Amino acid sequence: MQATLKVYRHDPDAGGKPTFQPYPLELPEDATVLDGLVKIREELDGTLAFRASCNRGFCGECTLRINRGGRLACMTRVASARTKEGEVTVEPIRNVRVLKDLVYDVDQLLWQKIKAVEPWLQPTVSQPEREHVLSDEQLRPVRNAMKCYYCGLCDEGCSVIPFDNTFLGPAALTKAYRFVSDPRDGARAHRLRAVGEPKGMWDCVHCFEADEHCPRGIDPTHRIMDLRDAAVGMGIKSGTRNPQVARHYDSFAASVKTSGWLDEGRLALETWGVRRIFDLLPVAWRALRRGKLPTPYRHPKRPGAERISRIFEKVERRSP
Amino acid sequence: MSYAFYPGCVSRGGCPELYPSAVTVAARLGLELEELTDVGCNGAGVLSREVSDPINARTFAKAEQRGLSTVMTICSTCTGVMGQANIKLREDPAYRERINREFLADEGLEYRGTVTVKHLLWILHEEHGLERLKAAVRRPLRGLKVAPFYGCYIRRPDAIIEGKPQRKQYLERVIEAVGAEVVDFGGKGKCCGFPILTANETNSMAMVAAHTGEAKGKGADCMVTPCPLCHLNLDGGQPKAEAQKGAPIGLPILHLPQLIGLGLGFNPDELQLKRHIVPTRTVAEKVQLLT
Repeated sequence: MQATLKVYRHDPDAGGKPTFQPYPLELPEDATVLDGLVKIREELDGTLAFRASCNRGFCGECTLRINRGGRLACMTRVASARTKEGEVTVEPIRNVRVLKDLVYDVDQLLWQKIKAVEPWLQPTVSQPEREHVLSDEQLRPVRNAMKCYYCGLCDEGCSVIPFDNTFLGPAALTKAYRFVSDPRDGARAHRLRAVGEPKGMWDCVHCFEADEHCPRGIDPTHRIMDLRDAAVGMGIKSGTRNPQVARHYDSFAASVKTSGWLDEGRLALETWGVRRIFDLLPVAWRALRRGKLPTPYRHPKRPGAERISRIFEKVERRSP
Repeated sequence: MSYAFYPGCVSRGGCPELYPSAVTVAARLGLELEELTDVGCNGAGVLSREVSDPINARTFAKAEQRGLSTVMTICSTCTGVMGQANIKLREDPAYRERINREFLADEGLEYRGTVTVKHLLWILHEEHGLERLKAAVRRPLRGLKVAPFYGCYIRRPDAIIEGKPQRKQYLERVIEAVGAEVVDFGGKGKCCGFPILTANETNSMAMVAAHTGEAKGKGADCMVTPCPLCHLNLDGGQPKAEAQKGAPIGLPILHLPQLIGLGLGFNPDELQLKRHIVPTRTVAEKVQLLT
């Protein structure tokens, strides 16, 4: 099989601009993109830098952008990836600092953020008297999150990280979920408070890009939503440095609970409070001029609002 | 066929121009709407699912009670949040049974799992038919360059598009159906930033600036969205996004029913285009030159 791998080449230390170097190759029909990269390095150009390890889709080391989509190089066949012209474009994933060619800073992308969520079990007692037996049902969410092999594709697809690289991101938040969902862990509230601070779970736009990008079926966005639901269930609706998030939740819930639907004017006022009222004035003025400023607290009840209210009450009675 | 119409909160709150535009357009197209007036907000991805799932199950049960099988929304977020709740309730009978027992039984309601949630955009393609829409067009919007902007919840997660990848092209097909020109751009399926307007306004506004700026840069006269929450951010937030970016953008943002309505021959005032924050005058002028 003939194929040309067009490979991203750049050495930031040496300066210059990134280029795509074409490497025409003769490869077996079942060759993967990683096979192609190995062949280039061994036979054509020993200076090509890339990262790989297990070669069987298990370690997540060879995560790259192949034909503009995030993939594992070892699990992507050249035959299916190549274009009509027989070309395959290979470059680092987005949202990363490139160190050389296809090698990027995984420490910045993943490890620093994962370390920040304290990725170790913090048991309720340091010396348990006997083993902690868990049912299959109890372990299911933990096992699901543990399928993560840190390929970084969820962070690569994340909607927020391109705008703000300090956002914890779906990989680290999924790691936090792994421990929050573990019945043996004793730091649940501490963890939920920590990931509730700015740049944590409330900064997630829940766009479900991470779910589309995760090759392990972990659905990281759903896990972030699970974290948020767990936090709300424990009354932890924000961190200490973003109290407006809790006010937003409480006002949203209070308005739906009392009238059945959302009182947007009340939501704005109660979320931002008097301190930011002057910031809101231009927005309010523009809306008023267009006849679309929602009037707070003058919100008619929807028919059946008392039924919605009862749903809230039942859930509240169940929560700790 | 009648649809259980779920207009959502924002179509009569922050975007009051949406509800009348949608009702006007639906009537012209012959879509029979039975509005669900006695149901609650679906939670919009804000409320915990512990509370929003029962509220949504109640909405679906109300539709079933009226003998209606499709809940029609005019909001991507409503579609996604209710659609995901519905998938869970339909696919997990034990969960549905628990919700029925704990929350709906005392009202004499039961959700049997027979309802489908669809956005107006999907109904136009999958039930009404795009050819019928084209046939109803009285003022083809020739020369109007329109950038599509979907809203996350109508595209993701995968389960929500129910095995129909073509749903990710529906907006473009509607733009073409009303005779306008599609301006394709990278941001069309991305997040508008609205969900983090409270938690991180800077990031939220950066998203608005990026997407509206990109579409404008590609020559769009306006953008169209099926999601009023995206509209709140892309239209209402645009002045602030411009200030943060330090450059003007000025891209009018239309609701889906407004774009269709213009093609059907309604005038911009009937569709309340004047109620937008970013002036829609350029669109209105271009369209009225066509008549």
